[in-house]
Amino acid sequence: MRTLRWLLVPIVVVPVVLLLLHGFSRDPAAIPSALIGKPMPSFSLVTLDGRTMTSADLRGKPVVLNFWASWCIPACVDEHAVLLEAARQYGSSVQIVGVLYQDSPDGARTFDARYGEPSWPTLLDPNGSLAIDFGVSGPPESYVVDANGIVRYKQFGPLTQAVIADQVARVLSLTAAGRGD
Amino acid sequence: MAEPMPRRYAFPIALGALLALGGLVAVMVLRPGLAPSQAEVGHEIASDLRCPDCQGLSVADSSSPSATEIRRQIDAQLSAGRSPDQVRRSFVDRYGEWILLSPTAPIATLLPVGVLLAAIGVLALWIGRARTPAQPVTVPAVSDLDRARAREEAEALDA
Repeated sequence: MRTLRWLLVPIVVVPVVLLLLHGFSRDPAAIPSALIGKPMPSFSLVTLDGRTMTSADLRGKPVVLNFWASWCIPACVDEHAVLLEAARQYGSSVQIVGVLYQDSPDGARTFDARYGEPSWPTLLDPNGSLAIDFGVSGPPESYVVDANGIVRYKQFGPLTQAVIADQVARVLSLTAAGRGD
Repeated sequence: MAEPMPRRYAFPIALGALLALGGLVAVMVLRPGLAPSQAEVGHEIASDLRCPDCQGLSVADSSSPSATEIRRQIDAQLSAGRSPDQVRRSFVDRYGEWILLSPTAPIATLLPVGVLLAAIGVLALWIGRARTPAQPVTVPAVSDLDRARAREEAEALDA
């Protein structure tokens, strides 16, 4: 009977501790994406330099789609440096695409001139429909899409070199293993 | 000076008035309700959706750019003939259940509460058991023989 009573302690304490650990270890503002494992929403938008880009243009290599704004400071400034480094490191094997979130083209140009001209395109999303299609709640937010156009990862908050390296490697291995469903 | 109405007309007039009133009420109650307009349906859907770039506001209550665009999309989808449930589902497909102010699958909300309640219940049961008084210890009766032997041993020790 005493053994049973002492067994109750872990039975009670362990689930509560696990629940609290789970609750405290996650950002309450972070929303899991409903798009993971699903095709990227299709779009046809104009870039900051006036070209039209469609979702079909992004097939064939991993894509890092980054929702950002010039007013998102300091997170987007820090992330911009990370993206510049990733673009240099991965070259043409990974396509980085910026999506301007609730911001003006002039704001984006001023930001780029100040923090470094990107080698990747930035899409203008004037009414925010692409952000809604991706379920974005605020910048910075990024999505890693595989070569077949399937959304594989959502980053809530600024990207880091480690996250980009991990996720790009994961997406490449998934594609190599033929799991590009 | 008008002649007072003869009493014999009073009952038919009262009955007629009552029937007319009853008929009016019946018409008002049974009249088919006007179907809500598209704007009303759209407002109801927008009230169920969380504004993605606000704090604790519905899409209907916010003037943020995202809320404005979501309201436009709701209207466009309703105009295209989609049902309110289909419109709601289109936003859940993009944002997940998070976008609904009242989630339809509350398992994620109820599970932690359930685990906590179960843990509190088990704890209460455990404490309750621990607080129940233990069975009184029954002391075996001391026989006269034992008492005499103890007295003898005590006297022997004193001696």
